[in-house]
Amino acid sequence: MSKTILEVIDLKKHFFQRKGLFSLGGQQRSIPAVDGVSFYLKENETVGLVGESGCGKTTIGRTILRLEKPTSGRIIFDGTDITALDTDELRKLRGKMQMIFQDLDAALNPRMRIREILNEAITVHHKLTGAEVDKRIAELLEQVNLKKSKLSNFPHELSGGEKRRVGVARVLSVGAQFLVADEPTSALDVSIQAQVVNLLRDLQKQLGLSFLFISHDLRVVELVSHKVAVMYLGKIVEMGMSGRIANKASHPYTHILWSSLVEKQSREVGKKAKSVQAGKWGVFDFERPLEGCRFAPRCPVYEAKGGPDICTNAASEPVLREIEGGHQVACHFPL
Amino acid sequence: MTAPLLKIEDLRTYFYSKSKQAFIRSVDNVNLEIGKGETLGVVGESGSGKSITALSVMGLLSAGPGVITGKIGFKSDRVQKNLLQDLDDFVKLTMKDGKVMAVQKDEDGWQERSEHRMSKVRGKEISMIFQNPKQSMNPFMTVGRQIAEAVQLHTEYKSEQAAKERALDWLDRVKIDTPRLRFDNHPFGLSGGMCQRAMIAMALSCEPSLLIADEPTTGLDATIQSKIVDLLAELKADLGITTMLISHDISIISRLSDTVAVMYGGTVVETGPAKSILAKKDDQKHPYTSALLTSIPSAENIRGKGYLQAIEGDVLDTINIPAGCRFYGRCNRVTDRIRERCERQEPDLREIAPGHKARCWLYFD
Repeated sequence: MSKTILEVIDLKKHFFQRKGLFSLGGQQRSIPAVDGVSFYLKENETVGLVGESGCGKTTIGRTILRLEKPTSGRIIFDGTDITALDTDELRKLRGKMQMIFQDLDAALNPRMRIREILNEAITVHHKLTGAEVDKRIAELLEQVNLKKSKLSNFPHELSGGEKRRVGVARVLSVGAQFLVADEPTSALDVSIQAQVVNLLRDLQKQLGLSFLFISHDLRVVELVSHKVAVMYLGKIVEMGMSGRIANKASHPYTHILWSSLVEKQSREVGKKAKSVQAGKWGVFDFERPLEGCRFAPRCPVYEAKGGPDICTNAASEPVLREIEGGHQVACHFPL
Repeated sequence: MTAPLLKIEDLRTYFYSKSKQAFIRSVDNVNLEIGKGETLGVVGESGSGKSITALSVMGLLSAGPGVITGKIGFKSDRVQKNLLQDLDDFVKLTMKDGKVMAVQKDEDGWQERSEHRMSKVRGKEISMIFQNPKQSMNPFMTVGRQIAEAVQLHTEYKSEQAAKERALDWLDRVKIDTPRLRFDNHPFGLSGGMCQRAMIAMALSCEPSLLIADEPTTGLDATIQSKIVDLLAELKADLGITTMLISHDISIISRLSDTVAVMYGGTVVETGPAKSILAKKDDQKHPYTSALLTSIPSAENIRGKGYLQAIEGDVLDTINIPAGCRFYGRCNRVTDRIRERCERQEPDLREIAPGHKARCWLYFD
């Protein structure tokens, strides 16, 4: 059994928003972007995090890396509690955990050449001589399968796939063992997406990396992840092995997510999954009073059962409970 | 096949890059046909020229250095013409060995004639749904007002009240809850999915003969995406509208299209019935299409937990288009029999099965 590299316990991250310019000091509104999330990640494992935009996926990733300060909860990385580390200690930690950002146009300095970008990342964390750095860069390029000639280019001269490789190389250059990959394949064409997905899988095998893989692309998550956690409005509503989540979903939300894959629908033209049609497809709303089950207003099961009180009662918000071998679901009426 | 509503012949849209001193051949010899009432799906990677083809049809590229030649035959009940007719007068191409060496263009004359013609067609005969609904709507006007404006401009509903009723009617048809309330919302007050619905309402409210939908679901969440696709499928069944659907998402294309055109590096490499082109097993197709299909994370790939079949290399650089087949550098089905031809000479689009054309030496003798 491999060891647990990351454990997150009841993590909360609330953002605060002032009411308006003229209500200084007035009532602050809190936006619970992440509201009590617990999970763990083993070495050499990939956990996929899916959910609609705005459900708090990225915030979780950023909070785990301590790019955001958690409101409450604990983050334990490699045996040490990193929830309250100070800046100096955090800097050392960054050598072990890193993030692959979603928007590489923003994440790569447009005025630095690729060589400088990689060079900087290497020298920040390791004291190496010039020759050693060059050797390391050559090594990295080989690992991510990038041509050496690209080193003298600027980021804007590279294609989307190449930029993605540079982003991965930079993360590897510091020797990180745990990576948060935030939508690493969004904005890429399918052919290039396949290259990147394969690259990440290869690297995991070679270097024993652990990934928190954030994506809204269900297919990709299903493919790369060992475990999948489904988020809705700041909470994990279902978690389990990826095959189970995709094929034997218990939470109505997960079920709807996967059956909304257009590819699936085209195969069963005519007999549209009933659950997709049912339910009010209102807008995602963080401001509504969060009482009881968050999904209830959109939930087809809730509607079919005539709106049972247990779903909307503040005292009985569903919590994650195990239904079968590692498969957890937070729902009063699992499918 | 019914008579084509839109017939694009040898369309070329080039841009000139000052810094590189070269032409970017975004659209290079595109031939397409859409029959009345049909949905043509256009697939391809980014940069393959899908959107530029659509914008060329709409006449929205007249400004700037865009150079357009070719023929865009448009034949509806009301209008029958070549949208690029006589515009060639303003463009002078210097050709050498079938390649364009230099271009001279009278920008003002081109634009004036194009605008004069397109203003009667655009919106009324051909309308377009853009990729980013929020950016393509006027942020200062309410959504309802924008739809009503289009209605007033292009249909017989000239009075304000009638136009408003009509707009409300369309908002209802695209399944926006409480259309009366939403009518007075500004675009930023709507969610992405709702905004796209409003966009569809706007495009269809003038009952155009041709709808061009450019990546209508990109950037939306999976649940919303499937709702929009459902809506488009429903509208297609109800109205029988002719659609050119552009997407890089093959699952959407396969759900909605009757015929498919696969674009690569600015040209169409394969066209034909959606069923035969998008079927997984069939080997009788362009190597690019096969590679594209196998690189999608599909149910089969996931079950095997295997690697995805990636297409090696990168999308084509449309400045330095190679002399031979555009896909040659990334193709995995080149055989010794055809290697030399692949490298030297570009194949033309030829019929390889009834109604099914491909641009590949594999199928020619």
